[in-house]
Amino acid sequence: MLENSALAVWVRESPSIFAYTLVLSLHAIGLAMVVGTNTLIALRLLGFAQGMPLGALRRLYKTIWAGFLVNAVSGVLLFIAEARSMAVMPAFWGKLVFVAVGMFVAVKLKRGHLDDESALASGVVTPPMRTLAKISLVCWAFALVIGRLTGYPELVTAWFGI
Amino acid sequence: MNTQAISAALTLPAVQGFVNDHAWVWPVCEMFHYLGMSLIVGLIGTLDLRILGMFKILPIGSLKPFVPLAIVGFIGNLVSGIVFVTGNATGAEFYVENLSFQLKVVMLLLAFVNLVIFQVTGLEKAVYGVPAGGDAPAAAKAIAVLSLFAWAFTIVFGRLLMYNDTLLLFLGL
Repeated sequence: MLENSALAVWVRESPSIFAYTLVLSLHAIGLAMVVGTNTLIALRLLGFAQGMPLGALRRLYKTIWAGFLVNAVSGVLLFIAEARSMAVMPAFWGKLVFVAVGMFVAVKLKRGHLDDESALASGVVTPPMRTLAKISLVCWAFALVIGRLTGYPELVTAWFGI
Repeated sequence: MNTQAISAALTLPAVQGFVNDHAWVWPVCEMFHYLGMSLIVGLIGTLDLRILGMFKILPIGSLKPFVPLAIVGFIGNLVSGIVFVTGNATGAEFYVENLSFQLKVVMLLLAFVNLVIFQVTGLEKAVYGVPAGGDAPAAAKAIAVLSLFAWAFTIVFGRLLMYNDTLLLFLGL
């Protein structure tokens, strides 16, 4: 049903460069903004680039929100264009789980720790912050790897039996 | 040298055989390619945005330690990219004769020349001395805009190379 909607047909079948290919390109750029910025923040919390003030990290979420918005919209368009095959693809749902957990961790890190600039002033990264940073790195690595596997459903079946 | 000679030189049967014999090689190279892309965008893109005046709370020099990591990401992409070109089942001509790929290479060269200018003019040194709240020189801002442009279109043309006909149609070629 989704797949036959006018929007889905346009994304999938229009020969225009502004249909499928633009959406696909934006999805790659959004991915890099979200994964790259989350990685930068996690690395700083794990001891990299210690000259970088911890209080600045919350500002970098602008890039994460922007990239996530781009990918939510482009992701919905790419999904409806191929809804029937995507909906039954384990790798697709697996990727969504890691994206959801990754974003949850990003929000938790910000609200619970990075927004508290007075606590950060000491420059100390607490163990819970380090734990969240590690979970973040793992989530985004998995989201990226499993996301790429959506292009190889036959390999997923061969390797994981699903 | 014509494109056929370049394609012949860049097609490596040993790599083709390795890619052909192991189904994991291509997707794993793609994963590294996306990871490297994310590192370049996340680390260099943040530096570019700071030079342009965002995240002013950051002393620009505090982002410097991330640059070597972006270079590691780039090397990962160079290696995986070489596997794609030399190991493609139908030969390197798929890439060499592909306008999207050619434009992607132009964008990479633009990013490279931009980086060289950034370094040899001393702008890099000046920029890393800009404190929290400070403004980068206007010339550095121009470099940052070019950098963002080059990397964004490296990604766009990279994605387009599997849909080169769409680009040709768009350009009326």
